[in-house]
Amino acid sequence: MMRLSLSLLLAATPALAENPAVPVFVPDTGGLTHSFTGEWEYMVGGGVAAFDCSGDAQPDLFLAGGTAPATLWRNDSIDGLAFHKIDSGAELTGVTGAWPLDFDSDGQTDLAVMRQGENVLLRGLGACRFERANEAWGFDGGQAWSTAFAATWEAGQSLPTLAVGNYIDPGEEAFPWGSCTDNWLHRPEGTRYGAPIALSPSFCALSILFTDWNRSGRPALRVSNDREYYKGGQEQLWHLDPGQPPRLYTEGEGWQRLRIWGMGIASHDLNMDGLPEYFLTSMADNKLQALKNPGDSPLLPRYDDVAFARGVHAQRPYMGGDIHPSTAWHPQFEDVNNDGRTDLFIAKGNVSAMPDFAQQDPNNLLLQRADGTFYEAGEAAGVASMLQARGGAVVDLNGDGWLDLVVVNRNGPTEIWRNTGLAPEAAPANWIALDPRQPAPNLHAVNGWVEVRANGVTQRREILVGGGHGSGQLAPQHFGLGAATEAEVRMIWPDGAADDWQRLTAGQVWRLPRGAAAEPATTPQE
Amino acid sequence: MFLTRRHVTGLLLSALAPLPTLAAPAHPRDAVAGQVLQTWYRLVLELVRHTATYSPPVAARAFACLGLTAWEVLAGLAPAARKSLAGQVTALTPPPAPDTAEGADPAAALHGALTVAIKHYFGNTGPTGQRAMRAMETRLAELAGEGLPPDTLTRSLEHGRDVALHIIAWARDDGGETIENMGFPLEWSLTDGPAHWVPTSKIVQQQAPLLPSWASNRPMAMARADACGLAAPPAYSEEPGSPFHIEAVEVYETVRNLTPEQKIIARFWSDDPMLSPTPPGHWISILLEIADRDALPVDRLADALARLGIAISDAFIACWQTKYQYDLLRPVTYIRRVIDKDWEPLLITPPFPEYPSGHSSQSGAAAAVLTAIFGENFAFDDATHEDDGLPVRSFSSFAAAADEAAVSRLYGGIHFRSAIERGLEQGACVGAAVNRLVTFQ
Repeated sequence: MMRLSLSLLLAATPALAENPAVPVFVPDTGGLTHSFTGEWEYMVGGGVAAFDCSGDAQPDLFLAGGTAPATLWRNDSIDGLAFHKIDSGAELTGVTGAWPLDFDSDGQTDLAVMRQGENVLLRGLGACRFERANEAWGFDGGQAWSTAFAATWEAGQSLPTLAVGNYIDPGEEAFPWGSCTDNWLHRPEGTRYGAPIALSPSFCALSILFTDWNRSGRPALRVSNDREYYKGGQEQLWHLDPGQPPRLYTEGEGWQRLRIWGMGIASHDLNMDGLPEYFLTSMADNKLQALKNPGDSPLLPRYDDVAFARGVHAQRPYMGGDIHPSTAWHPQFEDVNNDGRTDLFIAKGNVSAMPDFAQQDPNNLLLQRADGTFYEAGEAAGVASMLQARGGAVVDLNGDGWLDLVVVNRNGPTEIWRNTGLAPEAAPANWIALDPRQPAPNLHAVNGWVEVRANGVTQRREILVGGGHGSGQLAPQHFGLGAATEAEVRMIWPDGAADDWQRLTAGQVWRLPRGAAAEPATTPQE
Repeated sequence: MFLTRRHVTGLLLSALAPLPTLAAPAHPRDAVAGQVLQTWYRLVLELVRHTATYSPPVAARAFACLGLTAWEVLAGLAPAARKSLAGQVTALTPPPAPDTAEGADPAAALHGALTVAIKHYFGNTGPTGQRAMRAMETRLAELAGEGLPPDTLTRSLEHGRDVALHIIAWARDDGGETIENMGFPLEWSLTDGPAHWVPTSKIVQQQAPLLPSWASNRPMAMARADACGLAAPPAYSEEPGSPFHIEAVEVYETVRNLTPEQKIIARFWSDDPMLSPTPPGHWISILLEIADRDALPVDRLADALARLGIAISDAFIACWQTKYQYDLLRPVTYIRRVIDKDWEPLLITPPFPEYPSGHSSQSGAAAAVLTAIFGENFAFDDATHEDDGLPVRSFSSFAAAADEAAVSRLYGGIHFRSAIERGLEQGACVGAAVNRLVTFQ
């Protein structure tokens, strides 16, 4: 061969295994109307929190509004989607994102609301009503441009440890570059939070996540930073040792310098080796990080970028003819076709008016093939919106076992697609959803691991609060099962204790109480 | 034409003939004009870093156009002392003259010119850059217009605007005006054979090399793109003991045994696009620091910015002509193929052919021009990357800085020695062409 064409070279990768079945998504806002609005001060953010605050086991939606008030929509779906806006006490302006969590372990889900200005913790009162809890919990909301949030429970604490990611100083008009505001770590002191600890140096975080990357039982804090604004910065991983100040992983410990336009983190054990991989959204090529040497002891946080090899680099629009590179925001790993292989959704959209990046930038829905590569199904599935997407949620809104999709767009309407499943002739696609619960604190077992054995493989998910872009979900952990009609399930709790395996039937949500047999959870239809 | 070492030495010596250090008679507003010029340029360094199309060759062209704009504004205000580069720089015609009967204020004229020029060259920057340009325009308008009669202010701004538009029109057909897909062709055929460049990154755009047609751009001071061409690099060979293999082993061993100082040097001159002001911006930053330290008169600064900009712009044209003539593979490709499949360079390997080193070529040109302006053994400190946490480095001369910039590519594992040494020689040749331009008379 005399000369090799680039287009042929690119077409040759990744490997072409049989393409997965594509689920059909139909637009269905269920009456929800909302926009995340604003100009420069709201070019990032625009998240959605999906969680049940009404007690009917269906995820309700809290949407960041930017210059407009945030809104909370009760989910009254039965088959088709239906939402009703309610007065929640959470109608704050300046909201960039929100994450749900039961901070005080009272059984009512609370909200961490990140803002352009003071961040607010909202205590859930039931019936989707909330009240400000900063003062009651001793939480200093600061006055920064906050864009990211994560939570974990440190041993012996009744309240979770919180990390807040902050962006640039909006007051720096002519020279904003290098003005990254410190991220904050909020550690509890008894039943209240102590003074925030600056996570210095900070490099304009847009996503932040406590994750047990090495399965040590002690989550570390991963921070994805926007290189557009930092100087001397890079991606970060912080040690969070009991009773010790947070401390950065160093090159000597294996951490490798990576500088991207970090915008979102998604985590999943894609290769089923018990260790999480990390997807990092950026501009142009996105990153999928897998440990270089997963067999080492001790493990070093050295990662290979396997995005190109597995076909998830998602570098430019796959339809619409815009040749410019993409801009990626909220990523989320979920199995949207219930074939037992986790898929990847990526919200896409131009920052604002960046002419060297795609203006017509469709969201990605990347379905995993049997060989571990991914197939772009955004257009075929019907979710290839060209609006300026930011945050999102892949979550079962109507309890039918098919994960639906919410996308928050900047200066455009929020879009919701209902997943209607596969064509009738498709292979069986069963599912199971698991809702672990343990006694207070940390009722929802954050940073515990759910394991599901079926079809000869073990799928695992770490229960996380954080990551994404401006968006978090507190919902049962969903697993596709393909042809399997039952699965073996067990929970590894955050303290490392593992329950026994138990066999459960597919097609429903199960409550997993610690140390006890699973119970069918109430489903919305009931 | 191919350069030989003897030939280059002759060029260097001719470049060292002292240039006049005259400046036009001082204008009472020169200090303000200098402030306007320096402040806009500080913003430009950030815009280069944060505008997606600004790879080093593109940045160099913008610096040349901006420098020319500033110089021609000031030349027009004192034609008896300052000589326009029209008629000297290729295809540049005389810019509009100011209304000499009424005069124009240098600070306001520079502000008028740079406002128009920077908005043009960075029209594609993102929303933060656009916001910063607006803020800077407002801030410097107050400074530049302070105390001026309204008609003088208007007249001065218009003069600056007219000169900027003249340079923009001149540059529009030089081949570098439009950058598609950040400079990476959508279709590209790799040259057959083991000696030739292949992609070194997993980034999709970088499966094709950067700006393969850049050498067809119109040079500014060089006669032609190949006026400073180079002989071929050592012939490709995988045979141990061959000149090519020896150079590869040198890169391999150097990177494996880097001293802390060598690591700092490699990172100091890394100057990655989108993470720094790029190699051209690094030299502009050096000049701005000197101007600040020595309170350089505004016309001498504008002269130096124009010459330096032209030199680095032409250096990239010359360099790119040679790069695509030989289309040589990068050390990482060869070393992994022949020596050690797991080898990692310290720096990110740039996505285009290896020979010669772009940083070496443009640093050689920059050093030649700045030496001609400021003299040999002109010591200075370089704090370009202080904000990024890298230490200030001190140099005894521009040549010493250029040598260090060049060898940093060996420490970084991204260039063979031939590319470094011959790159410096190529730069000296380009610098000599620029040094023939006359600005003060």
